[in-house]
Amino acid sequence: MFSVDVKPTVGTVSVETTNNTGLSPEYWTERVVNKIVSISDNADPMVKAQAEAFKDTIQQVILLYIKQAIASDRATVAGLLEKQGHKQMADIIRRI
Amino acid sequence: MAISQAMCTSFKKELMTATHNFTAASNVFKLALYTSSASLGAGTTAYTSSNEASGTGYTAKGAFLTSVTPTTSGTTALTDFNDLTFSTATITARGALIYNEAATSDPSVCVLDFGGDKTSTNGDFTIQFPAADASNAIIRIA
Repeated sequence: MFSVDVKPTVGTVSVETTNNTGLSPEYWTERVVNKIVSISDNADPMVKAQAEAFKDTIQQVILLYIKQAIASDRATVAGLLEKQGHKQMADIIRRI
Repeated sequence: MAISQAMCTSFKKELMTATHNFTAASNVFKLALYTSSASLGAGTTAYTSSNEASGTGYTAKGAFLTSVTPTTSGTTALTDFNDLTFSTATITARGALIYNEAATSDPSVCVLDFGGDKTSTNGDFTIQFPAADASNAIIRIA
């Protein structure tokens, strides 16, 4: 008699919430980097160190460009608001 | 009334009848949020509106997940979803149900327990999925 056992498992999610604001660029950067770079606990220490260094480097690059993308988007929104005659709102967006 | 994290038993059966297809897509699986009054667990067979969360930034039946094409790691098959954010949301939820919107009767996949009430007020409510590896991925078959 033959049988094959399979074990389906569900992973654990975590939830991040904010009040009266959005999640920070640093949060999103960390999520992006963790999706791109995964380092095995069992990796060779040298390989692990190189991977960690690479992770730190791209983390800084991604954070920079996320912040620039946010600034660009705010400039677009502020420009549209000002064009529609909402200068005060446009100034608020620019100051964020 | 309770929310118990589990892979739905009906889902296991439906894997054998080809009801679900996790190939990368953004309009198949949905995640719905529930309050602590909900009763969800392994016996949940389909989406239900009973005790579903409500609030600004959230619509009934939840939001679509973007699935990641299944892969394998060693002898484990696994699949993943991209993180899901309800923006500018005022919501309180204790758990969630992932279900298949594209299949007849919205069959359930799994129940997620947040471990406590999570609340966002006019902000982001983000469900962060675990690393897509053989030890942590959201759906694994070993």
